Amino acid sequence: MTALDHSGNPLRAKATFLGRMHEWVSTADHKKLGVMYVTTGLLFFLIGGLEATMMRWQLAVPDSSLLSPSDFNRLFTMHGTTMVFLVGMPILLGVANYIIPMQIGARDLAFPRLNAFGFWLFLFGGLLLYFSYFGAQGLYGMGSSPDVGWFAYAPLTERTYSRGHSTDYWILGLLVSSFGSIATGINLITTILTMRCPGMTLMKMPVMVWVMLIDAILIMIAMPPLAAAQVMLLFDRLMGAHFFDVQGGGSAILWQNLFWFFGHPEVYILILPAFAYVSEIIPVFCRKVIFGYPLMVAATVSIGFISLGVWVHHLFALGLSPMVNTIFMGSTMLIAIPTGLKMFNWVGTMIGGKIRFDTPMLFSTGFLALFLIGGLTGVMLSVVPFDWQVSDSYFVVGHFHYVLFGGLVFAIFAAIYYWFPKVTGKMLSETLGKWQFWLLFIGFNLTFGPMHVSGMLGMPRRIYTYHADRGWELWNMLSSIGVLVQIAGVTFFVWNVIQSLRKGKDAGADPWDGWTLEWATTSPPPEYNFEEIPKVYSCRPLWDLKHPEDPDWKYE
Amino acid sequence: MAPDDHSNSKQQGIDLPAPTSAPFVCAFGVTLIFSGIVTNWAVSILGFVLALVGAIRWWHEVLPDNQKECIPFQSERPIVKPKVGGVAHLMTADSPHRARLPMEIHPYGAGIKGGIAGGIVMAIIAGTWGVVSHGSVWYPVNILGSTILPTMQGDDAAQLAQWHTASFVFGILIHAIMSSLVGLLYGIILPMVPHFRLAFSAIAIPLMWTGLTWASLEVINPLLQNEINWLVFIGSQVGFGITCWFVVSRSERIGTMQNWSMLERIGVESPNVPPIGGDE
Repeated sequence: MTALDHSGNPLRAKATFLGRMHEWVSTADHKKLGVMYVTTGLLFFLIGGLEATMMRWQLAVPDSSLLSPSDFNRLFTMHGTTMVFLVGMPILLGVANYIIPMQIGARDLAFPRLNAFGFWLFLFGGLLLYFSYFGAQGLYGMGSSPDVGWFAYAPLTERTYSRGHSTDYWILGLLVSSFGSIATGINLITTILTMRCPGMTLMKMPVMVWVMLIDAILIMIAMPPLAAAQVMLLFDRLMGAHFFDVQGGGSAILWQNLFWFFGHPEVYILILPAFAYVSEIIPVFCRKVIFGYPLMVAATVSIGFISLGVWVHHLFALGLSPMVNTIFMGSTMLIAIPTGLKMFNWVGTMIGGKIRFDTPMLFSTGFLALFLIGGLTGVMLSVVPFDWQVSDSYFVVGHFHYVLFGGLVFAIFAAIYYWFPKVTGKMLSETLGKWQFWLLFIGFNLTFGPMHVSGMLGMPRRIYTYHADRGWELWNMLSSIGVLVQIAGVTFFVWNVIQSLRKGKDAGADPWDGWTLEWATTSPPPEYNFEEIPKVYSCRPLWDLKHPEDPDWKYE
Repeated sequence: MAPDDHSNSKQQGIDLPAPTSAPFVCAFGVTLIFSGIVTNWAVSILGFVLALVGAIRWWHEVLPDNQKECIPFQSERPIVKPKVGGVAHLMTADSPHRARLPMEIHPYGAGIKGGIAGGIVMAIIAGTWGVVSHGSVWYPVNILGSTILPTMQGDDAAQLAQWHTASFVFGILIHAIMSSLVGLLYGIILPMVPHFRLAFSAIAIPLMWTGLTWASLEVINPLLQNEINWLVFIGSQVGFGITCWFVVSRSERIGTMQNWSMLERIGVESPNVPPIGGDE
């Protein structure tokens, strides 16, 4: 006879620390892997944030000598690389890992072991990158971590200009990590296309599932060119090839094209999941069906498609022909249309809704405001003459932080507050959450808003210091003060997680009165997710079950 | 609910892929293979061996059959309970189920018309200011045209008061395009503003736009900033806002098609397709 615990579940022997470690290391469960992805991403977020803090500390006042120029180069390289590859990617893949199978009524991803393989590749790739701090110096004494920027422009990455192994660590770390992303991309596509529960046709999938499908396809298209370019660069550095070595007949522009053919879709790979999270959260907290579901799906597909044809706007300052510039200016402006449609649809969902401003909704609303600003400055940058004027200035830094921090990170916090109860069975504190939101919102705007001004006043990005006579002092000081406010916000978050895990309020299965299938199981869910595979009839299966007198399926 | 294909025959649990360390070992091996490139070839050899061991173990676990473990059912089984009491719906005559807000919007054409009308009012205000302050109706047009005509950027006030064909063409073109697009934006946004739409159009937006222009013009075009009278600028923006609001709010609203089926949206007419509006 099986012994039962106080909840009536089969009692398992209390695991030792090593036993628990083994359980996590050997797991193929999509939920555990999702938690590991997100946790790792958040740890790297703290590291990347620390790097940013040090840079802002250096730039707070003119003629500062807190950091050396080479240390500053390493910091902005590692900050950018970390935030894109080791924070954004794992968190979006982690949330998808955890939520997508449950939203489509499946028990796991299509290839559970490949899923584990993908996670470990990502983690080891990230560790390899950071091992450069210890290993890259080697016998050369040429510096530790990579210092070539997150886009590693040629020919600075060639052996002539980058001695030692720091750039090799950048290449290898990201190469290993990107294999993991590709593996997870394959897994997501297969799972979504083949493992949906009965009744869930494509047009009955939650918006998040649609978005992650397109996102995974983008990963499959964008990552291989980066991997190819990195292998070519490795050949240049270690085997004497000349792909990007201009003096040897290679082309530095080829690197820029290959990198940004990956790099711009990568921006959408990162921001599309943010769209997915708010598309799930806003309807639930407005108690309304999402406005314009078919249009949301069409806009997602359009964004995925157009995002593959805009990369040259990163090359406007290169001196390409007016025809090429004009075409890519047009395509860049074009992508604002489906993105704008989404904005209007989210606002349309809020109109007339019974809005509950709980923390997930606050962060989602913050996302709308900040991403709108980032999107509008993006449209400004798509205009070639304007781009020439502010290219490589702090205006661009402000712009992409409004997109990737104001957009992605705010949406990630919305998602964490929304799904944390499902994952842990505990509610995060609303009070601490609201403190975090307002501190982060104020700190964020204080940090990145002034960057638009300093950029328009001519402050180039990636400079380690500046003289006092440029008129940039005030704006830089404001930006640096903003970082302190953000740190306070993040501290509230860390405290909130620790406190809630220890003595948070029990969440129950469905604390938000949600409509998608993940809320139909316990919190945290059992390993098998659903005892019986559910059958759905509409986009909101839980609404149908909760309101049998008024189901959606009759009218869809 | 349908019975699960994957649960075992006695229905005491669910078969799931067994835990395995093979992916971990394999991934670690792959990483070491690459690490050897920047450390020592022996590291790569070790990595290759580990990757191979992991891969062989992995193959053994999935071939010929997937290794599984049976996870016993939890005793706690969540049941999604029907909510007590119905949900109040906003219903309309042409909505089969519930109204989806916003039900009606202003047609996009109304926004463009409002923009054009507002642009004309704006031009009248600016022209009047040109006549009063500089004795020329062409002065404001030339200021606008000079933003993209480098040859005019050194012109003084007397030169800007003269007729310039190129400046006139470009000035009118810029003004027409900007007015139409901003009008279009008004047309889209106004239905979403819950209250005080006139104040939003005539005060909030003009002040925000003026603030943005004032803050950025010093950098974008310092010459233009010197020539602008900001009070008149605000006045012309207010004139635009009021006119645009008037035209847009007078337009006949149209349905949003939210309750229409996909076939109705794309205009398919067939006996099998329900009539427009989704009525059965």
